Amino acid sequence: MNGTSFLSNQPTNSNSRLSGWLLLLVSLLLASGQPEHATAHPMPNSVVQLNVHPHRIDAELQIPLFELQSAWGHAVNDSSVGLVARLGPQLRAYLEAHIRPQSPDGRFWTVSVGPMSVHESQNPINGVYRELTAQVQMVPPAGNDVRQFRFYYDVVLHQVMTHTILVSVRQDWERGQLAEAEPMQVGTISLDIVNNRILPLPVNLASGGQWTGFIAMVKLGTQHIAEGTDHLLFLLVLLLPAPLLRAGQRWGRFGGVRYSSKRLLVIVTAFTAGHSLTLLLGSLAARYPEWADLPTQPVEILIALSILVSAIHAVRPIFAGREAWVAAGFGLIHGLAFASVLINLQLDAGPMALSILGFNLGIELMQLFIILLVIPWLLLLSRTPSYAIVRLTGAFLSGIAALAWIAERVSGQRNSLTTGIEEIVGYAAYGLIGLVVLSLYLTWRNRPLIDSPGL
Amino acid sequence: MNKNNRTAILLLLLGVGSFFTSCKSTDVDTSSSTGSTTGSTTGSTTNNSSSITTTLSATATTTSCASTGVAQIVCLAEAFKSTLSSTQQSTLQLTYSKANAQKWSNLPAGMSARNGINLGSLSDAQLAAFRNLMVAVLALNTTNEGYDEMIGNLVADDYLNTIGGGSTYGAGNYYISFLGTPSASSLWAILFTGHHYTQPFTFNGGVSTGVTPSFRGTEPQAAVTAGNRTYAAFEQERVAFANLLTGLSTTEQATAKLSGTYNDLVLGPGQDGKFPATKSGLQVGSLSSDKQALVLNAIKLYVNDLDASLAAAVLTKYTTELANTYVAFSGTTAMSSQGDYVRIDGPSIWIEFSYQGGIIIRNTPHSHSVWRDHTADYGGN
Repeated sequence: MNGTSFLSNQPTNSNSRLSGWLLLLVSLLLASGQPEHATAHPMPNSVVQLNVHPHRIDAELQIPLFELQSAWGHAVNDSSVGLVARLGPQLRAYLEAHIRPQSPDGRFWTVSVGPMSVHESQNPINGVYRELTAQVQMVPPAGNDVRQFRFYYDVVLHQVMTHTILVSVRQDWERGQLAEAEPMQVGTISLDIVNNRILPLPVNLASGGQWTGFIAMVKLGTQHIAEGTDHLLFLLVLLLPAPLLRAGQRWGRFGGVRYSSKRLLVIVTAFTAGHSLTLLLGSLAARYPEWADLPTQPVEILIALSILVSAIHAVRPIFAGREAWVAAGFGLIHGLAFASVLINLQLDAGPMALSILGFNLGIELMQLFIILLVIPWLLLLSRTPSYAIVRLTGAFLSGIAALAWIAERVSGQRNSLTTGIEEIVGYAAYGLIGLVVLSLYLTWRNRPLIDSPGL
Repeated sequence: MNKNNRTAILLLLLGVGSFFTSCKSTDVDTSSSTGSTTGSTTGSTTNNSSSITTTLSATATTTSCASTGVAQIVCLAEAFKSTLSSTQQSTLQLTYSKANAQKWSNLPAGMSARNGINLGSLSDAQLAAFRNLMVAVLALNTTNEGYDEMIGNLVADDYLNTIGGGSTYGAGNYYISFLGTPSASSLWAILFTGHHYTQPFTFNGGVSTGVTPSFRGTEPQAAVTAGNRTYAAFEQERVAFANLLTGLSTTEQATAKLSGTYNDLVLGPGQDGKFPATKSGLQVGSLSSDKQALVLNAIKLYVNDLDASLAAAVLTKYTTELANTYVAFSGTTAMSSQGDYVRIDGPSIWIEFSYQGGIIIRNTPHSHSVWRDHTADYGGN
């Protein structure tokens, strides 16, 4: 069997960016789960993915329409266009009648079916097929644990004896399992052939805690920055001319260690303040459904634009002395992108508050780590006459990358440059080594050092 | 010439001789090793001559295995094995284990890996030896049954290869393995398995102990032409079930009808030993003798795929148990629509036939079927 997963039907996050920083940070990052191995079953199965909240479980159902039609009729597969508009209420009633989680005390949960949609899915065994996706909210009776229940679920299976339902946990914040990782299989619901009956699936999720959830969010924050080439590039390019004094319309010489350190600190702090603010506000705004849809595309375009602006500034000072404000301003934009990560997790208020804190802490830790890795060598280099070449090369390459990203994010189409960037970024660790070697070599060659008169 | 010299020359001759032998046995015909297939569609007929099925369709070459029964099968198995290089032999020859025996599927080998050596890697000479073995265990000279059904099955998979299925499909992706060393006294098995065809032969103590679980199916269900032959590998079985079900009275049909829907086999690959505790449907013993004959006709299309020496005892057992055997179906009695399903469940026999959605040829149903035995699957192991 090849490793193709039946569970991979879920929409994947399209803006995951690979990064060479991963090479440096493998130990910090989570290993991805093993993909499920498909069985020999040729018919597409249903998938139920659970998102475990403190007081309820949100389930996403994926039901192949061909199988649903066999069980329920209504030509749901033969005429799937406008299915939800045509049969929405009946479909909801059907699903609710066949999804009945039961607490250990025998009481059944409240089940309500939310948004439904029809889309195409594909796997190597069945080829392309259509399926119904439904968001279902399951709430245990007051005082009952969400982590222990008997899952009576026989959608399709009540009629189609050969149907199989794969149940997995897609997100469990208190266990530190986030939707970005591979779903964790809970079990399979299918006909008990020998006894010709359908048994409920016993679900016993190990309990976690707020600390586990918090740590998972710190990890997610570090991972997000490690993989978020554009966030880092913005900051690093903004820091390129920071050690330099302004000389009219041009960048002048090294401004001294104290001058440089102060400017670096101010810029980084301003960026942090900016993105923390919008991360907080954006994540809280998710509580209000009408705000929940953050304009992802404009935010992503503005982030690419922020790199272009700081690249131009690295060539010629266009906002010298006001870098902190620019960093804070663009920080607000970057924070919105961070917020969208948290919003996608659809957390309740309590976990969300801890998540904002943990995620932001992770972001800052990783940001600080990268800056500490890069800045000393940049400072060394900036004391040499060759720094102009380094600075201009960095600014020029970043400018091209920014333009490529702008093109990609405006058009929605990948281009050869952005694909290339993803590949090049895989070698970032070597780039860092190169930077270290270059700075040491140039510093050695340019003895005695040019120092600022102030020191 | 002294004794030492003579020994040296003998050794030299032996060395040269074995050099030639090893060359010969590893000399793989490149045209067959690629499993190349040419196919074209003209109207409703298709032409699919693959070098593998062409070689396998050739008239049997003479063999030196004059013995009969299991001893002959052992001899032919050893003869096939001896045409292989030592590397190929180690791929073919595995130890007998339940896990190895259970490694079959209704998916192409590319999606569910098989043990053994694939037909695509065999030379023409090796394929001829494979053919000699298979015609000894499968019935010969019956159109679309037995060995001819196996060829038709390979031809259909070659066809899927050419119409967009790609290299995952085709005769070259069918595998043969020996589980345990061929022997007229101890436990061993031949397992031939590929996409829509799995047939095991288990032997122990010099007798056949099991010929199931056996999987059959075909896509397309419609006839496929290869060379000057038109194959419909699994159409007779479908028609036999339709005759059986449409031959029943309305009352009998109502008793035989299952309440559930079956879009697939219940006891397909990986569902070993899960026979329902209670049999469903219509008891064959309650039927008139002509209707009972229709049930037996369908059963014979499975059992008589095998060489008479292997089939006779099995068929006798199933005939004896026929009165206590049940027939059940779902969908329509015509066995012509997607979702049509029929099951024969007896004290020993278990046959399921499922007419299900097309994979490569979409919106056109194709058949999947499994023959099991309540006690003799995997030779009772």
